[in-house]
Amino acid sequence: MLLATSLALFALGLLGVIVRRNVLVMLMCMELMLNGVNLSLVTFAQRTGSAAGAVLVFLVFVVAAAEIAIAIPIVLLLVRRRKLLDLDAYADLKG
Amino acid sequence: MIETWLLWLFAATALVGAALMLVLRHPMRVALALTATMLSLAGVYALLGVHAIAIFQVLIYVGAVMVFMVYAIMLLDVRDRSYVRRFSRLLLPGFVAAVAFLGILVHALWRSLPADVAAGGGTTRFALQHFSAAFLGEYWLHFELVSVLLVAAVVAAVAVLETGRRNRD
Amino acid sequence: MSHPLAPIVLLPLLGFLLNGLLGNRLGKRFVSAVGCGLPILAFLASVRAFMLLGAGGGAPLLDPAYTWALIGGSSFDVSFYLDTLSAVMILIVTGVGSLIHVYSIGYMKDDASYARYFAYLNLFLFFMLLLVLGRSLLVLFAGWEGVGLASYLLIGFWFEDPEKARAGKKAFITNRIGDAGFLLGMFLLFQALGTLDADRVNAAFMAATPPAVPASLVGILLFIGASGKSAQIPLHVWLPDAMAGPTPVSALIHAATMVTAGVYMVSRLSGIYTHAPEASALIATIGVATAFFAATVAVVQTDIKKVLAYSTISQLGFMFVAAGVGAYGVAVFHLYTHAFFKACLFLGAGSVIHALGGEQDIRRMGGLARRIPVTFATFAIATAAIAGIPPLAGFFSKDEILWYALASTAGGSPLLFAVAAATALLTAFYMFRLLWLAFLGRSRMSAEVEHHVHESPLSMTGVLVVLAALSAAGGFVALPNFLGPLLPLPGVAASLEPLETPLLVLSIAIAVAGLGAAAFVYAGEGVRAERLRQLLAPLHRLLASRYFVDEAYDAVVTRPLLWISDRVFLRLGDRTILDGTLHGLAALGRRAASGLSGVQSGSLHRYALLLLIGIIASVAWMLRHG
Repeated sequence: MLLATSLALFALGLLGVIVRRNVLVMLMCMELMLNGVNLSLVTFAQRTGSAAGAVLVFLVFVVAAAEIAIAIPIVLLLVRRRKLLDLDAYADLKG
Repeated sequence: MIETWLLWLFAATALVGAALMLVLRHPMRVALALTATMLSLAGVYALLGVHAIAIFQVLIYVGAVMVFMVYAIMLLDVRDRSYVRRFSRLLLPGFVAAVAFLGILVHALWRSLPADVAAGGGTTRFALQHFSAAFLGEYWLHFELVSVLLVAAVVAAVAVLETGRRNRD
Repeated sequence: MSHPLAPIVLLPLLGFLLNGLLGNRLGKRFVSAVGCGLPILAFLASVRAFMLLGAGGGAPLLDPAYTWALIGGSSFDVSFYLDTLSAVMILIVTGVGSLIHVYSIGYMKDDASYARYFAYLNLFLFFMLLLVLGRSLLVLFAGWEGVGLASYLLIGFWFEDPEKARAGKKAFITNRIGDAGFLLGMFLLFQALGTLDADRVNAAFMAATPPAVPASLVGILLFIGASGKSAQIPLHVWLPDAMAGPTPVSALIHAATMVTAGVYMVSRLSGIYTHAPEASALIATIGVATAFFAATVAVVQTDIKKVLAYSTISQLGFMFVAAGVGAYGVAVFHLYTHAFFKACLFLGAGSVIHALGGEQDIRRMGGLARRIPVTFATFAIATAAIAGIPPLAGFFSKDEILWYALASTAGGSPLLFAVAAATALLTAFYMFRLLWLAFLGRSRMSAEVEHHVHESPLSMTGVLVVLAALSAAGGFVALPNFLGPLLPLPGVAASLEPLETPLLVLSIAIAVAGLGAAAFVYAGEGVRAERLRQLLAPLHRLLASRYFVDEAYDAVVTRPLLWISDRVFLRLGDRTILDGTLHGLAALGRRAASGLSGVQSGSLHRYALLLLIGIIASVAWMLRHG
């Protein structure tokens, strides 16, 4: 059941990335994905009792924190230039 | 018994929060929904017996990440184009793909179900001592890498600050 | 000597190489010495080979040169073969050829491409000798093609003039059409007999059990090739245009040697033709038709060389008549006498043209007999020879042809004889007309041309004298008897035997009648000729336009071919299909690329969706193959 929940969280997070327009909301959905993964890691770690699972969870925490520390300033700088939080405004890398 | 109930409750809350994240319009409300989800997950971790991780969840995720997020939302003017039309053009294809995704994963899960199904019956207790010993002993490399990652993050943040300052001047 | 025949072929080749590569640098003297000396040496070698043949009691000489190819189980050799027939041919080719080379020294003296001329002339001799001496039909064909090439090069010698270049092309292409038939004949022969050696082919057809392939089919196919080379109907159209080349070339190639290659080939393969009555009948019919038709056209031609060209076509027709009724030896005899008097006539015409500074229209000649007496005398002798006045050479050969056309048991008929006799009459008529209009009567030349008329140098007149002498005396060599063992004469219908002597008298009468008629029509101011022409104006127009054959070919063959080339192959095939396919492929690539580049839209949403789809796919894969 817990695993199903983690799957659902992950899927919802990915759906949110695809579906929402606001850049900040997309970032938050990515956090949601990470949380889903964390839940499944914890479930397995607790079940098997291996320390590796817990270590990985810790790593994910750190990564999430580092990621958000960089991502938000980037968004801030972008928005300062374009004045828009809509992702479609930043489709410059068109092929 | 109560534990199972609480587990179900927290799990449900997490899911509801996640679902709300997708439909709410104002980013601030989305942030609040995410915070709710994270707290519910912390509760789940606590119920599972991994208290250290539950604490870390609250500290790091809610305390640092979400706060930072809220700061950003407050700083920016969120009532723009993405407020009016919150869903991208790929709403339908994304929804279909997500359903397919869930379907396939649940199918995979169903096929390879681990021994104990239901709400996890924690057989072994999580011990902080064991965890710390393992972290600094067997997984010392990961530990060091974590520090490197944090340093990198700090440097990046300072760099962004500098760029910002230079642009402003 | 182990290789008696190879030098005959190789000496002219050496001449070609020397003159072609070094001639321009080493001056006219060198070119003349090499260009004439080597053919003369070849002539001496031919004489020697001839004597060797006689010394060996007539047994053929065989000179294997080298193995050309080994394909499957068959070996294709280049070897030279001398029997009485080829001995006669090489003597004619090298003998008359050398004389014409000497003549060319004087004729082409002022030409800028002197070295190139002699190089090509020697090249021609090389190929012609290869043709004659080759044992295998394959070597003969190589020589056949080679003389076609040399002919093209020499007809279009002054290639800066597009008309002359076009004449060269016409000759080559018409030859090639005939060669298609030749090749098919060769293929059939090889498939049935496994060999292309002429003597073996003849033996196979003369054997008790004939080979699997019908002789007439092979005979007709090979004759198609011969008619291309020897200008018979319907492939005769190139010979009159070939007069665009220098006159010695016309003498050598289009009178004495190359055009006779067809007659030689038919005689060489007499084994096939004696057993192919349908093919022989075809040859005789086409021969006599060509002879008559060409003679009628020659009557109204106004260019001196064109008269001689049509005369050549007509005389070749005579040779084929003889071959068609089985008298191959007689055909070769006429070939031999024709070489002498026709070469003399052409070279005489060249002398006239040289004297008049380039004038070739006989309506603007006349009265030259006194001004250029040597040319006149030799021309007159040769004219009498071709008309068939005894005891000159032409009389003997023509009389034999007429006799066998009537009486041969292998296809002779009164109709054949009648047409041939009519042609002989016309021959005498138009030749004397030519003589009269060019040399006799009042002068119709322009004043300044008349002022410059002079006799040709000794190198030219000397040759004329030699050829005239041969035209006079050559007939006394009993060639058909000499060739008898190899080419037996056909039987004569018993009922017609007593007519032999009356026929002799008749042919003399025909010759004299023709001369008389021409004298009558063209005497004086030519008033009667003018009246005759007005009387028969439509006929005159038909003849003057050469029966509109060229125009017919243009409409039926050339224009549709050009249309097909333009419409079907150029526009449809090349532009639409080929270019279209290539452009289409390129456009396809372009459109595919632009379609695929839509993936890079710059929109993160799309990227995330693609990510999701990829994950689903990989999970599904793992589930299936896990």
